[in-house]
Amino acid sequence: MKKNEPRTLEVDYLTRVEGEASLTVRLEGDRATDVRLAIFEPPRFFEALLRGRSYLEAPDITSRICGICPVAYLTSACLAMEDALGVTVEGPLRALRRLLYCGEWIESHGLHVFLLHAPDFLGYPDALSMAKQHGEWVQRGLRIKKAGNSLVALMGGRAIHPINVRVGGFYRAPTRAELESLLPELRWGHDATGESLEWMARFPFPELERDYEFVSLRHPDEYPIAGGRVVSSEGLDIDVRDWDAHFVEEQVPYTNALHARRVGRGAYLCGPLARFNLNFDRLHPSVREAARRAGLSVPCRNPFRALLVRLVEMLQAFTEAIRLIEAYEAPTVPHVDTPSRAATGYGASEAPRGLLYHRYTLDADGTIQDARIVPPTSQNQRSIEDDLRVLAPQLASRAHAEATRLAEQAIRNHDPCISCATHFLTLKVERT
Amino acid sequence: MSTRGRVIGLGQAAAGDDQVGLAVIEHLRSLGAPECLELLLAPEPSALLSLLETPAPVVLVDAVLATPAGEVLVLEPDELEQRGLSTMSTHGVGVSQAVALARLLSPSGVSPSIRIVGVSISRPERFQRGLSPEVAAAVPRAAEQVLRAVSSHDPGAFPCMSPR
Repeated sequence: MKKNEPRTLEVDYLTRVEGEASLTVRLEGDRATDVRLAIFEPPRFFEALLRGRSYLEAPDITSRICGICPVAYLTSACLAMEDALGVTVEGPLRALRRLLYCGEWIESHGLHVFLLHAPDFLGYPDALSMAKQHGEWVQRGLRIKKAGNSLVALMGGRAIHPINVRVGGFYRAPTRAELESLLPELRWGHDATGESLEWMARFPFPELERDYEFVSLRHPDEYPIAGGRVVSSEGLDIDVRDWDAHFVEEQVPYTNALHARRVGRGAYLCGPLARFNLNFDRLHPSVREAARRAGLSVPCRNPFRALLVRLVEMLQAFTEAIRLIEAYEAPTVPHVDTPSRAATGYGASEAPRGLLYHRYTLDADGTIQDARIVPPTSQNQRSIEDDLRVLAPQLASRAHAEATRLAEQAIRNHDPCISCATHFLTLKVERT
Repeated sequence: MSTRGRVIGLGQAAAGDDQVGLAVIEHLRSLGAPECLELLLAPEPSALLSLLETPAPVVLVDAVLATPAGEVLVLEPDELEQRGLSTMSTHGVGVSQAVALARLLSPSGVSPSIRIVGVSISRPERFQRGLSPEVAAAVPRAAEQVLRAVSSHDPGAFPCMSPR
């Protein structure tokens, strides 16, 4: 076909949790005249479901929103409830919460990097095809992911929908011996992740520089997981309680998911690339060095390099998990008391895909009167669409199959929680 | 390594009919499933990769997008793609691909007998609590097919499975 003929790239894929999502990119010459990422997301339903339920039920109910990120929902819900109740979880309990979250980062990023994203860079249609040529790397990735699963299973009580987490801490704290039993595999996972980062750093990365506004949590001492202030690369620096004054969600006609934007600015990006750019100085020194060796520096504005940033975050998670276990002293009680009161609470944590914000209003009995959940995927939708607009000249210059593969890869850069089945792209050419 | 027959329910709780695989596992538990059966849950297909490593038969239970809703299908993993059927998948690794990947990476370790008991569901328009009536009605029939699928593998290997 001729390069200047208008054509439409159409992406359609099915997901388990979020329903269907589709992408339409209409190209006219080198310009994208229409880009639509349409996502169906269930959190609206959960917000309605939460009303009238006990504050103690919120973590468990919301953790069922996502089979990949239950810990993120558990943690954001607990933080918001504890904020409402005036309770602070500190010391060993806070360390345990962070350790659990490290497990989720490892398993979620591991799944994405090795099974979903790496095949794109190597030119394979799916993980199965990649495994035929690079079986040892896929095996390695699966074992890395399993190390994260083991951490979540031990800390959360089970691998699917962890049940050991509650407002105020845990139902049962693990023993030191239980945690130490994980150390050999975590140490192996750390080293294997470092080797994977060195290998994937040699992948061919498409050229794309984006002027994102990055948004993430920032903590005085730690790489952000839970706790800290909400900051951005454009100077935002607010308490989580002030989120609603600075971010809004809007309905757009072609998608069931709300679009988030910065008040007075517009699209922004949360997730690994945002965390990395805003918190590079909070990474462990050895992890910073590994990132530099992989060719990463700040600012990193190429979304395709998010593949490497996820590996950097996995390396950070392994490093932290090992440190936390080595320093672990079992808490005297598994949770702090959380007597109910009428209040509104705000909580945010860094899910693998980005900042996950929860807000709850409780009555005096601790019954939820109002709930709001803002997941990272809805926050990133506009930026994903903008990526494809900027990528339009590259899409326009490619043949159907190649253009659709690149569009698919660009979507996967952000690991939206609507990850795509293989061969989900079809290309329709409109001739005028 | 466990030689108990392994039944793995796939699905997302609180995601309407997609959770039918989990409901079948719950039903088997409520029936007092034989001790020779190991009942497990998997949030998404990539979790299957390690769970399929067993010498015992494995039965996967999942929602399948097909009409009419509420039908129970017993399939080999390869049949999903051959028949154009789709299980719902969170993260891009479908059930049939997870099985193929497990067999590729661990040819001697993966169960020699893997079957899928699928319950047909309609494409979800919105998520809801619980199952729709037609899919809920299929749960006991699906549980029955699970038990048949395990015992048909090698009836002598599972003496605890009473004939049904």
